[in-house]
Amino acid sequence: MKQAIDLIFPKNLIQDPIIYQMSKEVPVVFNIRRAKVTEKVGEIVLELEGSENELNAAKKWLENRGIKVEPITHDTLEG
Amino acid sequence: MKKIKALKCKECGQESPPIAKHVCEFCFGPLEVVYDYEWISSVISKEKIASRPHNLWRYWELLPVEGQQVLSLNEGFTPFWKSRNLGKFLGLKNLYIKNDAVNPTFSFKDRVVSVALTRSRELGFDVVACASTGNLAGAVAAYGAVGCFKTFVFIPADLEMGKVVGAGVYDPIIVGIKGNYDEVNRLCAEVADIFHWAFVNVNIRPYYAEGSKTLGFEVAEQLGWRAPDHVVVPVASGSLLTKIYKGMSEFHQLGLIPELHTKISAAQAQGCAPVVTAIKEHSEIIKPVIPKTIAKSIAIGNPADGYYAVKTVEKTHGVGEWATDEEIIEGIRLLAKTEGVFTETAGGTTIAVLKKLKESGKIASDETVVAFITGNGFKTQESVQDHISKPYIIEPRLNEFRELYESLVKSKQVEEHNFLKNPAYQIK
Repeated sequence: MKQAIDLIFPKNLIQDPIIYQMSKEVPVVFNIRRAKVTEKVGEIVLELEGSENELNAAKKWLENRGIKVEPITHDTLEG
Repeated sequence: MKKIKALKCKECGQESPPIAKHVCEFCFGPLEVVYDYEWISSVISKEKIASRPHNLWRYWELLPVEGQQVLSLNEGFTPFWKSRNLGKFLGLKNLYIKNDAVNPTFSFKDRVVSVALTRSRELGFDVVACASTGNLAGAVAAYGAVGCFKTFVFIPADLEMGKVVGAGVYDPIIVGIKGNYDEVNRLCAEVADIFHWAFVNVNIRPYYAEGSKTLGFEVAEQLGWRAPDHVVVPVASGSLLTKIYKGMSEFHQLGLIPELHTKISAAQAQGCAPVVTAIKEHSEIIKPVIPKTIAKSIAIGNPADGYYAVKTVEKTHGVGEWATDEEIIEGIRLLAKTEGVFTETAGGTTIAVLKKLKESGKIASDETVVAFITGNGFKTQESVQDHISKPYIIEPRLNEFRELYESLVKSKQVEEHNFLKNPAYQIK
């Protein structure tokens, strides 16, 4: 299956090759679809392809590294 | 004649058919409705609008539906007046209040939901859903009931009872989700992906959001077909702010108002201010935050339209400002005491920020300013209950009242009660 996720990089992780490291450890195919990076924060829309377990493992790996992983719709909750 | 031409990506410009979809397949950018403005300009006029009933469907040509059979509870065309006391108090000669707290379910969400559910029916849905922390839940439940939809409302399981009642009375299926804010969000995004329902603030979002334009239309019409100099708008997802500007821009483009120079300013609670922070830091990226404020109806940590809200504020030379929880409560009390309007925390935020912008000189005293009040205070009574007048309890005897009255006169509380005349409250 394929899924797009929104990654928010905190300042201290912007210079790390996080996505490369993730792909070394979890067997998913990734495709960077959109990215915006400044010196303070980074945002990447990443498309992942693999089995459901592999996708979950990739998301978990990113979260454990300190990346905020969001659904592509941003917030669905409203006031 | 079809007036909706397509859905268009706000990022890459790719167009797609106007179905239930909210992100661009190509670049994942948000989608927006494209209209046939040529046709609209050939049929719309001030006279035509003015001759119609006093609800938001008087602007039918500019709303994203094709049919005349609309799902309406007479939302919109809410009261708008030149401030009676607040302007004097703040030193603003031309302050106007737009009171959207008196819509059918007591918030501006009735506008977006009326449009969203009308469009959902046109697209063939019989199930509607939303994820909400209050106002949207009530609006979707009410319009869902009247429109005979099956209605699902997703809320955080620990939502205050008052808000659950405000939706529950219309008898939707309410799903309380045990989990933190991020988990609730994630689940709702997954549900919206898998179940083919009209999720008003997810796959119906391009249509839903257009309902907010009507606040811009109405203010321009109610001002006598002209644009104000400055408006202050509470910001949650950022959609309302961008759509108020879009509404005024469309009126200008169609020649319904002569010119457009309105500065659009954003108001957020300090405990959840990702948009205002980006404006203050001149940043293009909205840093998500974990909300921590009493202003729950505008506490969106990762706002979907935050980027566009920042762009609109910058483009129009507006400003972004936040208010602390204490200032928000003071804003609620101030609006109640000066204009007789009991607003919820979002309205308190607007008033608190309006006051700050005047004090810091960012709004000039002779500007025509509009403050948007978007929700009703009876929904969030708990936020002010410890900060307002309490009854003096006495026995049912005249001499008890006399004693009380004398003590109040002695302590000058009776005169001070009229706070507009109290020097302590005057702004220097």
